[in-house]
Amino acid sequence: MKLNRNFVTHTVDGEQIMIAVGNEAQFHGMVRSNKTAAMIIDLLKQETSLEQIVDALSMHFNASKEQIASDVSNILDQLRSIGALDE
Amino acid sequence: MSINFTVKLAGTPIGVRALYPQTAEFCRKYICDAPALFRVEVNEEDIAHEREYAAKESKVQGLSPATYGDEYLETLAVYRKIADRMPGFDSLLVHGSALALDGNGYLFSAVSGVGKSTHVALWRALFGERVSMVNDDKPLLLLQEDQVMVCGTPWNGKHHLGANLMVPLKGICFLQRADSNEIRSLNPREGYAKLLSHSYRPRLAEQAVKTLRLVEEIVQRVPLYELNCNMDPSAAQVALDGMEGGRSK
Repeated sequence: MKLNRNFVTHTVDGEQIMIAVGNEAQFHGMVRSNKTAAMIIDLLKQETSLEQIVDALSMHFNASKEQIASDVSNILDQLRSIGALDE
Repeated sequence: MSINFTVKLAGTPIGVRALYPQTAEFCRKYICDAPALFRVEVNEEDIAHEREYAAKESKVQGLSPATYGDEYLETLAVYRKIADRMPGFDSLLVHGSALALDGNGYLFSAVSGVGKSTHVALWRALFGERVSMVNDDKPLLLLQEDQVMVCGTPWNGKHHLGANLMVPLKGICFLQRADSNEIRSLNPREGYAKLLSHSYRPRLAEQAVKTLRLVEEIVQRVPLYELNCNMDPSAAQVALDGMEGGRSK
């Protein structure tokens, strides 16, 4: 899976902002991500998988893989709901 | 059959190829001789897209769809194509009403229907000749090395309030309707989301990224405010007093 090519990010004052562009973009809002979500979104800029994201995050966070997988799945669900995820 | 002309917007000469002579007439106050830095071309497909966008917009706003002629839709298509490229020239298209008071520019933005044009009309009533309208609907903001300019364009709303002016932008004010008039400063972080929500989103990823950066630069350089206001004439004075206090930035 990968971040849909119509979504672009920019970091402002330490906070990541993401918007959709293009004629096909259905999402007209703006996503402001906390550090975890920003890390996940950055990882999704290359082709990746849930397992790879969980592995990368477990290097930064002191939580069980199950907890991390659950949090990552939540964020992926939200990205999926706005059309930001290509699977 | 096509019409070719060059317009200068926010200091950038832009070549336009259009289908209808009315478009050149619409842009007449901005036509120039300078060699174009980029070109836009409009075709029937672009006009059809504008018809779709207009229909969607009416639906979103809960209005019954109006029927627009191709000539009018062409002017919208031209601005959209120009706006898609302007971030590459440090220019941001914003939805808002911009005026100049004694040569100082102020931009008022709000969700449609809140009353930015009404508020700006209060400034004209209160300050008279000292006020010039820059653009009552969709001005361009130009990021220069040491200041941000607010610029007139032909696309200045249904009452055509505006002029071919470029003035330094001294404040951006986000309006909300309220019972009483009150203004407060916003920090750049608070202002970022607001300004972005009133800015045009280019349809090209590279230009969209530039837009995100441009908004960041602008909110760092221009004082930002939130104005809660009613329609009393004193609202204009409250707004000005609040913004003049931020002039030192």
